[in-house]
Amino acid sequence: MVTVLHGIKILEYTEMVAGPYCGKLFADLGADVIKIEPPEGDRARCFGPFPDDKPHPEKSALFLYNNTSKRGVTLDLNKHAGKDAFKRLLQWADVLIDNHPNGHLAQLGFEDATIQAINPHLIFTCITPYGRTGPREDVKGDELTIAHAGSLGNVLPSRSANIDRAPVKPGGSQVGYQSGITAAFVTLAALLGRGKTGKGRIIDISMQEVILGLMRPSITGARYLRAHWGRVPDRPPAMGRMQTSDGYLVLGAVEDHHFGALREVMGNPSWLADDRWLIMAYRTHHAPEIAPLLDAWMAQQEKDDIHHKLARRGVPLGPVNSVKDLLENEQYAFRKYFHEVEHPLAGKQKYPGWPYLMSASPPTVSRPAPLLGQHNEEILCKEIGCSATEFQRLKKSGAFGKTKR
Amino acid sequence: MKYENMPLEGVRVADFCWVWAGPFACMLLAMLGAEVIKVEGHKRTDLTRHSVVWPLADPSPTVVPPNQGMSFNSVNMNKKSVTLDISQPEGAALAKQLAAKCDIVIDNMRAGAMERAGLGYEALRKLRPDIIVISSSSRGMAGPQRDFGGYATIHNAIGGEAYLTGYPDGDPSTTSGDTDLMNATTTAFIALAALHHRRQTGEGQFIDYSQCEGTTSLIGEAVLGYQMTGRVPERMGNRHPYYAPHNVYQCWGVDRWLALEVHSDEEFAALAQVIGKPELAEDKRFKTMKARKRNEKRLDSIIEEWTRERDRDWIVNEFCRAGMAAAPSRDWQDLYADPHLRTREAFITVQHPEIGPLEMVGVPWKMSGYTPPANRAPLLGEHNDYVLREILGLSEDQVRELRRKDIIK
Repeated sequence: MVTVLHGIKILEYTEMVAGPYCGKLFADLGADVIKIEPPEGDRARCFGPFPDDKPHPEKSALFLYNNTSKRGVTLDLNKHAGKDAFKRLLQWADVLIDNHPNGHLAQLGFEDATIQAINPHLIFTCITPYGRTGPREDVKGDELTIAHAGSLGNVLPSRSANIDRAPVKPGGSQVGYQSGITAAFVTLAALLGRGKTGKGRIIDISMQEVILGLMRPSITGARYLRAHWGRVPDRPPAMGRMQTSDGYLVLGAVEDHHFGALREVMGNPSWLADDRWLIMAYRTHHAPEIAPLLDAWMAQQEKDDIHHKLARRGVPLGPVNSVKDLLENEQYAFRKYFHEVEHPLAGKQKYPGWPYLMSASPPTVSRPAPLLGQHNEEILCKEIGCSATEFQRLKKSGAFGKTKR
Repeated sequence: MKYENMPLEGVRVADFCWVWAGPFACMLLAMLGAEVIKVEGHKRTDLTRHSVVWPLADPSPTVVPPNQGMSFNSVNMNKKSVTLDISQPEGAALAKQLAAKCDIVIDNMRAGAMERAGLGYEALRKLRPDIIVISSSSRGMAGPQRDFGGYATIHNAIGGEAYLTGYPDGDPSTTSGDTDLMNATTTAFIALAALHHRRQTGEGQFIDYSQCEGTTSLIGEAVLGYQMTGRVPERMGNRHPYYAPHNVYQCWGVDRWLALEVHSDEEFAALAQVIGKPELAEDKRFKTMKARKRNEKRLDSIIEEWTRERDRDWIVNEFCRAGMAAAPSRDWQDLYADPHLRTREAFITVQHPEIGPLEMVGVPWKMSGYTPPANRAPLLGEHNDYVLREILGLSEDQVRELRRKDIIK
C-alpha cells in the first residue's frame, strides 16, 4: 500500500507546537519528514508533562506527541559545517517549515533569496506570531497573547456574566495547533500547484490571523448585524453548558423538534405545557423564565445517561469530557481512534489518532518521535550523500553540536 | 473576477455542506483556486443564509433576508451556487451527475444522509472510480453514537477541549464556533492529501471525518500527560505550568484587558523597569522563573495595581517595545481598527449586490505570487445556468423545464 503523501520530502526547522504539528500532519500520512533541532534540542523537550513528573528531554509529552513519524537531525547552524549540511538538506527538500522568530534564519545567513537560490523549487512556509510584515513583525507572541490578540480569548469563558473577571485563553496549545493545521493545508496546496511551473513559493502564516480567521462568522456578524459579542451568558434552554449530578454537558436543543423531544424526555412538566414553547422565537424571548427550572431538572440527571437518552431522540448534545473520559469513550473505541505508540525511553502510551478514516491508505505512526540527533548519520549519509569520512569530519567540526551521536 | 497563478486551479469541488464546518473547508479550497460548486435546495437552503450568529443583541431581527446572513457570507466566499432539490429524483440525479464531474465531494450532513439521497461514495464511484468523497459528521459514519448530532460547541466539549478551558475554580467553557472552522481546515487538508494520493496512484477514496475527534487531536499532550502522571489535566485559566507572570490584567476602563507572558529573567527585568519597580528583578521572591511561579499571585497583584490605572494600548506598546510578549484582549472593533492587520490587508472588501461593500476577514496566509480572491459568497442559485448548461450540458429548454417542475429556483 502506498502511503497518502508518499514521495513528499519535508524539512522542518521547528520548535514547540505550530511548526512540529504541521510537520506531524505530513509525517503521519507518509511524507518523509526530517526535523532539524539545534544541539540543545527543540524547546518542547523541556516542557512536560513527563512520566512521574520527572523532567527528561526524551520524555516530554508535548514533544513526543507532535513529532511522531519523523526522523531527527541535530545541526549547529552557527557553525560553518552545520550551515553546509543545512544547505544540502534544502536541496533535498520539497518543503521547508520554519516557526522561529522573524529574521532568525536570515541572521544565520539564510535570507529568503539565498534559500530560493539554493532550491528554486522549494515551498518555504514560515509560521510567526504576527506574520513576516507589518508594524508588529518583530513583536513576540505565544499561546496566551495570540489567543487574545486574535479575539478568541476575548469571548471566553462562555456563559460568564462577570465582566470583572478577565477573559481566558482556550486550554492547552490551541493557537499552535490551529496554526499548524492552517500551515499544513496551504503548504500542501502550494506543493500540488507547483507541478505546472516548478517554481517555489514563500508562505507567510501569522498566528494572529489564523485565530482571527476562526472567528470570522462572529466578527462579521457583530459588525454588520449587531450580533452579540463577548463572554455573554448563553441562556438555556437554547444552547449551552449545563450541570448534571456528575458533571457537565452542552445542550443544543435549538430547533423546535429538538425542544419537543427534550420536553417529552423530561416527562412533559407542567411548566412547559404551553405549546408556544415549541416555537423558537417564543423560546428565544422567554428563555429566562424557565432557565432555573431547566437547570434544576438537569442537575438531577446523570451525564452519560441523559446524553444517550436525549441523543437517541435526535437532540444535539454532548458531555464535557476529560481526557480520562475520552480514553474510555465507546465511540472513540469503535473507531480505534487512540493507538499505542512505544518509545524507547518514554515507554508505551495511547496517542490521539486522526479524525479522518481513509479507505485507500490510512494514516499511521511509522515511528515514535526521534531521540535528539538519532538519525544524524543516516540522514547525512543516505539522504545527502556524505561519505563516512565526511560525516566524521562534519561531526568533529561541530556540525551536530556536542551530542553523543 | 479571475485570478492568476492559483495553486488549485483546475480542481473542481462539489460542496454539499451547510452551516460552518463543511462550507468553510470548501471555501479554503476555493480561495486557493479550486472551482467550488455549492449545492443547495432552494426550499431548504443553508440555514446560515438567513440567520445571524447567536446570540442576538436585541432588537436585531432573528432572520435576515436570504443571501444576507453574515456567517454565510463569511464562510462561502469565491464559490458558485446551484439550487437543486435533491429530495426529488430528478434533482438527485442531476446532483449525482454534477458530483461525478468533480474531483472532490464534501458534505457535512448527518451520517448517512448522502447515502439516502443516492449520493453516497459507492454510488458516486460507479460514475467516477477515482472520485474523492469526504463526509464530515459529528461522531463518524459508524459506531454506537453514529446517529448522535452536535454543533461546534458540543464537539468542543466531547473532544475534551472545553474541560480544559476556563478558570480552575470556575465552570468548563466551550470555545466558540471556531471548532467548526478548525475542523473545516483539517478537512480541506485531508482533501488535498487524498488528491495527492490520486495523482500518484490514480486511486480515489472515501474519508470518514469525525468532528469530535478533530478536537481531541489538538490536546495530545494532555492525553499523554494523563497516562504519564495519573493526573487528569485540569483548567488553568490564563496561567502556564512554568512561565510567570503569565496572565490577563485589567486596564483602565470598562472590560479592558491585556495579556502578558514573560518567558525569561531578562523579560522580567524589562517588565520591572517599565512598571517602575526595578527592584523586583532582584527580589528573591521573583528573581527566577521557579520563584516567580511560586509567588505568581503576589506578582499578578503588583502588576495589576499598575495596569489598572493605565490605558491598555499604551501599556501594550510599552511592554512590546521593552521586548515582552503582550497583547490587548481584542474585540471585533479592535481587530478592524488594528493598523498591523490593516497593513497586512487581513480584511478583504467584497461587493455584495444586496448590501453593498462588505469588509470580510481574509485568508490566514500570505503567499508569494498569489492574491486572495476578493469574490463574495454567491447568491442563491446565482450560477444555475452555468452549472446546468456548461458543466452538465443541458439545453435552455431543459433548464426551463426544471424550473417549471420546481427542481431549481
